[in-house]
Amino acid sequence: MEGAADSDTPVAQRSATDRAAALARLLHRDCTRLLELYKERENFLSHHVPDGERLVALGLCPEALTTAEQVGHVRSALRRCKELLECLITREVEEMGEELEGEYESLRKTVKDRLGHLVHSTAALLENGEGGCPPSPPLQCTEGQDEVDDSFAAKLWTYRVLLELIHWTDSASQTLHLFQSETQGQQQQLL
Amino acid sequence: MQGWVTLALLLSLGVNRSLGQNGLGELPVPRGLTLNPDLPAQTLSLTWQSDSSLFDLEIFHTEFMNVVLNETVAVKADPVTGLHSWTWHSPLPLECTSHSVHIRARNQQSLSQWSPLQTIPGSDIPEKSESYMFPQDKMVPVGSNMSFCCIVKEKRDFREIQYRGQQKSATRLSRRTYAITVTNQPASGNTGTNVVCCSETLTLTGAVVFVGYLPGDEGLVCETRDLASAECSWKKGRDTHLRMKRGRTKYTLNGRDCLEGKTWCYSKVWEENWTLVARNPLGMVQLTDSAQLADRVHLLAPANVTAVEVKAWSATLQWSWSVAAYKKLEMVCQLQIFPHELSSTRNYSGPGLSSVVLEGLWPDVDYTVTLRCGSKQSFWKWGDESAPYRIHTKMDRPDALDVWIWMDSSKTGRVFWKPLSVRKSHGALDRYEVSQSSADEDWGTPDFLPPGNFSYPIILNNSSDITVAVAARNPAGLSQLSTVTTPAYRADSRLSVSELLSTNGSFDLSWQPNANASGGYVVEWVPTGCSGLCPVDWRKVPESDSSFTVKSDSLVAGVRYTVSVYTLSPGAPMLLQRWQGYSQEMIPSQSVSELSANQTGSDVLLSWKATEMKHQRGFIHGYTVYLADAARLDLIANISDPEVQSYRVKGLSLSSHKFVVKAYTSAGEDAGSTVAIKMEMDTADMLFVGILVPLGIMFCCLILLSICCYKKREWVKKAFYPEIPGPKVPGDWSSPQGPLDVKPSPHSLVHIVESPEWDFTKEGLFPVPEEEEESENDNIEVDTDSDEPALLRYYNQVVGDGSHSNHVLDSSGSSTASVGSTQTEITYAGIQSPTSLQGGYRPQMQSVTGPAELQNEFEADFQDDGLNTGYKPQCSWQLDSPEAENFSGSLGSPTSVTSSQFLIPESSEEKPQPSNTWFHNFLSGKS
Repeated sequence: MEGAADSDTPVAQRSATDRAAALARLLHRDCTRLLELYKERENFLSHHVPDGERLVALGLCPEALTTAEQVGHVRSALRRCKELLECLITREVEEMGEELEGEYESLRKTVKDRLGHLVHSTAALLENGEGGCPPSPPLQCTEGQDEVDDSFAAKLWTYRVLLELIHWTDSASQTLHLFQSETQGQQQQLL
Repeated sequence: MQGWVTLALLLSLGVNRSLGQNGLGELPVPRGLTLNPDLPAQTLSLTWQSDSSLFDLEIFHTEFMNVVLNETVAVKADPVTGLHSWTWHSPLPLECTSHSVHIRARNQQSLSQWSPLQTIPGSDIPEKSESYMFPQDKMVPVGSNMSFCCIVKEKRDFREIQYRGQQKSATRLSRRTYAITVTNQPASGNTGTNVVCCSETLTLTGAVVFVGYLPGDEGLVCETRDLASAECSWKKGRDTHLRMKRGRTKYTLNGRDCLEGKTWCYSKVWEENWTLVARNPLGMVQLTDSAQLADRVHLLAPANVTAVEVKAWSATLQWSWSVAAYKKLEMVCQLQIFPHELSSTRNYSGPGLSSVVLEGLWPDVDYTVTLRCGSKQSFWKWGDESAPYRIHTKMDRPDALDVWIWMDSSKTGRVFWKPLSVRKSHGALDRYEVSQSSADEDWGTPDFLPPGNFSYPIILNNSSDITVAVAARNPAGLSQLSTVTTPAYRADSRLSVSELLSTNGSFDLSWQPNANASGGYVVEWVPTGCSGLCPVDWRKVPESDSSFTVKSDSLVAGVRYTVSVYTLSPGAPMLLQRWQGYSQEMIPSQSVSELSANQTGSDVLLSWKATEMKHQRGFIHGYTVYLADAARLDLIANISDPEVQSYRVKGLSLSSHKFVVKAYTSAGEDAGSTVAIKMEMDTADMLFVGILVPLGIMFCCLILLSICCYKKREWVKKAFYPEIPGPKVPGDWSSPQGPLDVKPSPHSLVHIVESPEWDFTKEGLFPVPEEEEESENDNIEVDTDSDEPALLRYYNQVVGDGSHSNHVLDSSGSSTASVGSTQTEITYAGIQSPTSLQGGYRPQMQSVTGPAELQNEFEADFQDDGLNTGYKPQCSWQLDSPEAENFSGSLGSPTSVTSSQFLIPESSEEKPQPSNTWFHNFLSGKS
């Protein structure tokens, strides 16, 4: 029984890693498409190069050395991205109402849901929160909103949030792929 | 001391006064100029103190000191505060750059000095080093003009300002500030219109402007649903294009806020006057309505609609009201009943109406009922409609059947009845019940027929009429009996049936009214000639009518119908009139049958039989007869009498002929039947021509020949049977006569050669090389007794004998036979070939060598043989003959030469004349 349990666990983990990596790839495509839709709506962004610091910066997070730690690192960033996206949705719905139901609005909700799944999936991959950053306090949507008190700034902020989503979902995809490869290698060594 | 102080004060006052006046009019400078900007409104309020009421104002963009306003205004002092105030509306946001203002007083004659400059700082001051754009999030009406300014971040360059993605011409207001002016702005999209300020490499900053419309709502209407409160609704007008939260239209009804985003507003109490204010940042619209409560009653939908009593022909419907106040309201209710074919709308009224009886329903029918009500007094509108309610009425016994009887013979017939429609069956039928009676028998036990049957056969056993009764039964009961009595059978052949012409596919019938038709008339139509289970149709016509139209939809094109009119009376129906006709004539579907052609001399009699009636598909008007060849049909007869079914085609030549016969109706000809005949001679003619004529000709020839021979008998005798002189033999040749066996010389050997591939006139004859024969036969005695056909025997005594001619004939006959055979050829050496143009003997020739070679070879041999003595065959005679040349050209036949001529050489005086000579003599009649 013990042996069976030992053999089952890596397989299950590898499967979960596969799914998480696949979800990250899918989410990355979704985020890319979401940004395209946003650029179609706000055409001035086509040539816009945002300046300033990253919205999701994990300064308090220790330097990630191992792949598992990198997964935890990415997970923390995704969690922050999810909070930003929720703030973005809240803000847009409040400002524009819920009457608009185009592709952008539909995909925006899909990304939020899949982002939540990905955060949950990556958490399940880490044993005892291995490699995770210290839990950061939940983001308040009013934080850092002083400079987005006008519509144009809000559009630039939205743009930056979407760029963060693309960046971190891409990072998650690569990290989870690496994590998956290492997990398989370890499993083969054990066998 | 006090005196010095007072003097100093007076001096100072005098100095001040002199400083406050210029040389023009010495007006005092306005004092205490203060600036109060209203940034969102882009206004600048100026207040100052002055005794004057006319002022010159100048406003500058501080940095470049560009004058943006230079105006003289008349401003009176506020009587309370004593301050002058004036407001300036800036076309540019005041944040764009610093503004400076100074003012001076003016009157008719003089001006004061300018007041000191007062400045409000813009956002382009060094203390604010970031990029900015103004105004932000402004809402303006469509078509308005507007200016935007961009303040470039310190140490950044400026490239352009884009409005809706298009570059606009910018004006520099200060070191860091650039401005554009946009005119006639179009409506914005969902998220506003973007105005972007760009450096060479970056988007520096931007703003969003929302361009839209005032609220356009209209049509406020208030009504009550519960006879107490009010619901006011209106129509939303055009899109304001202001979708952001701040730009949405907000509504108030009589001062009370309404729910956002709705087009109705609720009030707990009825107020006779209503005012709706629709407002957005660009403006407002006000709608009003005024009405009494009783005039605006809009009832709710009836609730709990149920059918409390459902019958076959009626049902009672009941419902309730959710508002108690309705119970006293005088109302009108409208029921709509479906399905469509039975749909109807019925109105009922009464105070607090809550039940109605639905009359006029049909049994066993599914109905769907909806109900709505309204106030009867001051009807405003129908209330909400109830949910559809289904009613299924009960069954009732069927209606009486429409029965008719059709006799197809004097003894047999069939009772027909029409299927009952849903509205007449009143429920699914279980069966039909058929019973019959006659003068001899009372009603017997009925026969039960399943619902799918619509006819019943009857047989008349005796001469009395039969009355048949038919009824339909469903679960609710039996229908009334429908009776019909057998009419007398009348075959068409016993009646004068007139031809009936259709009109647009229908039969228009009319007949003389009959006094006996107490029960009216029955028009019956059935396919002519039909028997058994025929599609009999009929209609009953009231007594008052004497015409009827059989519609085309009950008729089939191309079918002949027999249409009969019967009078109905208490007894049996009586036939009144009968027609036959087609609703639409068509060409016959089949051609005439049994078409045959019989030769009579040079004529051909065509006969045929008419097409069966069911294939005629129209009245046959006649027949056309065509003579057909490979390419076309030639009309040779048009027989307009359809009773004529034969035609004689005369004067035909002795060859094959093909005839096509077509029947035609008013619609045209059929495809036609074809018959072919080969014309032959008559038997008598054949006898005459084939036998008697040749015989006669032969007979005539024989007679002519006989006459000719008789007249020329001397010549004939001389020519064909000349006297052969006896042989002049030295010595004693008086030996007893007997057959002389002559052993012919080798040259006279006759060979029988079988050569199938050689024609006898050419290579069929071939010589046997003498050298070979000689070499082979040198030591061999010739077997003269042999049966060899080449052995030739002479009977000298026969020459000149009476039987000689027979021998000659036989000889010639043999020769002829040899000529006629390609298998066996007998050639007598020395016999002239009729085809030979060479003189002398022509022997058989072998195909191995050519005829010429053989000829030469033969001649050479012949000359050698010519040295021999004794008997010489005719060849030597021929060669010796001085007239060999002439003779070779003769036309003589071997049959005309006696054997003695070529077997025995003659003296010179007895030389035979050339054949051309005797033939010429024969023709010329010389003897």
